[in-house]
Amino acid sequence: MSAFVTVLGKECIDNLRDRRTLISTFALSLLGPIILVGLMSFILDRALGEQDDAITFSLVGSENAPALVAWLREQNYAIKDIELRDGTDPRALVTSGDNDVVLLIPKNFAKRFGAGQMTTFTIVYDSSEMGSASRRANQLERVLNSYARAIGVLRLQVRGIDPQLIQPILVNELDVASSAERALAVLSMVPYFILLVAFMGGFYLAIDTTTGEREHGSLEPLLSQPVSRVSLVLGKIAATCVFALASLLLLLFGFYVGLPLVPLERIGLALDVSFANFLMIFLLMIPLIWFAGALLTVVASFAKTYKEAQTYLSFLIMVPTLPILFTQLMGVEASLWMMLVPSLGQSLLIQDFLTNEAVSGINLFCSALSTSILAALLTRAATWIYNREQILG
Amino acid sequence: MIRVDNLSKQFGSVHAIDNVSFLAEDRRVTALLGPNGAGKSTTLRVLAAVIRADSGSAMINGHEVHAAPDLVRASIGVMPHNSGIYARLSARENIRYFGRLQGLSGDGLEQRIDNLIDQLEMRPFADRRAKGFSQGQKVKVALARALVHDPKHVLLDEPTNGLDVMATRALRDIVHGLRAAGCCVLFSSHIMQEVENLCDDVVIIAGGRVRYTGTLGNLRAVAGTPDLEEAFVTLAGLTQAQT
Repeated sequence: MSAFVTVLGKECIDNLRDRRTLISTFALSLLGPIILVGLMSFILDRALGEQDDAITFSLVGSENAPALVAWLREQNYAIKDIELRDGTDPRALVTSGDNDVVLLIPKNFAKRFGAGQMTTFTIVYDSSEMGSASRRANQLERVLNSYARAIGVLRLQVRGIDPQLIQPILVNELDVASSAERALAVLSMVPYFILLVAFMGGFYLAIDTTTGEREHGSLEPLLSQPVSRVSLVLGKIAATCVFALASLLLLLFGFYVGLPLVPLERIGLALDVSFANFLMIFLLMIPLIWFAGALLTVVASFAKTYKEAQTYLSFLIMVPTLPILFTQLMGVEASLWMMLVPSLGQSLLIQDFLTNEAVSGINLFCSALSTSILAALLTRAATWIYNREQILG
Repeated sequence: MIRVDNLSKQFGSVHAIDNVSFLAEDRRVTALLGPNGAGKSTTLRVLAAVIRADSGSAMINGHEVHAAPDLVRASIGVMPHNSGIYARLSARENIRYFGRLQGLSGDGLEQRIDNLIDQLEMRPFADRRAKGFSQGQKVKVALARALVHDPKHVLLDEPTNGLDVMATRALRDIVHGLRAAGCCVLFSSHIMQEVENLCDDVVIIAGGRVRYTGTLGNLRAVAGTPDLEEAFVTLAGLTQAQT
């Protein structure tokens, strides 16, 4: 027991002093919440901006069409009246940087309107500009077209002609992917990050305590100490788990603080993840972290060199994210057998806790039990590896 | 006392050691001498109970290495050939780690570490991290680590590798100090000249077999030459082609 504590303490202190280990352990758990929260807020801001904010544009010649301008203002358009001096190029209004979207209404509009003649309006904007000018110009064009169509329909009806005659086809757009749904897709990456951190957190420790120790030549003197191999292996796996747990705690804290900052309630979505739910997520991840620590240690112990171990483990940490893809692509409902698969069970349970759905106690128990049994078997395998002479390489 | 009887160990089809027998007495320094790949490290690994021999036995301090490996490990101090200390721990922390693994703790352990630091003249770098230590400093840390539990049997694998003149001298003084304190010191080397100033008895091993055991003085007589290097080459059965 005391040897276990000695090894655990030494591996933790040793790796706390390694900058590369610290970066790889905590970078993801620090940046994950910042990136996700930032991304969701950005997408939602754009989506909500389209709906709520007034569309602004500049207008030359508002006195030529007072009825139209009054109607536009009613449609939540913020109009800035500007002048265009005779003989100047209207493009200069935009290229000078003073305006980004300019509508030009010709002087003769009222006269031609009265006479039933067509008038050309011009919208000036810069489509290469990064902001919302293109979107506002398109929207302005659309609203003007629908205004023109409404006038046309009235004129035909006054003359007793069916307006459908001039519009044989009406196109109706159905955009399934709303911006709000895009934000939700980002939200579904939260369980992905949680699982990834459980494996990433111990990544370098698993290598450093096994292949690294052998490569630095300290394994042989270590193995010639009067300490059981079980204590050594348990100490090493435990150190790997300690780092993964610390990384997970940091990540969950980041989400706990960050997720309420996302304006999800504005799209009618209640994401109220309580502290208790975060605590449950942390607890249900503990068996998986043990599993991850043992798995990484076993695989890293088999590798001949540090680099070889890095290659193996880089592939290995992608494996736990496969179940998430599986559930998302197949759209499966959680069932008991899925709870028995490490990381698949946890990912489904995390989703339930995040969306405040009722979580079955049996599912929780089965996930914890099955993952713990597999973790114990892997720990046993690691001990077996350390009892072999080949461990010295 | 270390008594080795007919130890054999095979790796695949290679006989790493083949019926190796010798005796290393207390209060004497015994050199395990042989060319590269002769089986020196394999022998030391069996004695440190890190690997098991296929046949034969080895007694250290009255314990058989295969039957009571932990008792053997507790009564020996082992220094591997590349020092193998932890670069991110200080010299003191390296020694303390192994002290704890040997079951020591508290004031007794700290006192012992301090004594070793003084004895091996490690004071200037005792609390610096081992990264960037010179080879001589690394060997001192590894030696202190091997001696922290005050073992009566000390196994040193190529301890003089990479040491300069002063560091070699310092090591020699330490080894002679251990002998004076009643220890049984067994070290391996492939350099005859080093052995001359360091050891009392010699075991020459080549191709996994023991070619000579006896005192340094007797070695010249058996080989029929006053030149130790020549004696080594003759007894190890080396030819130019092999070296």
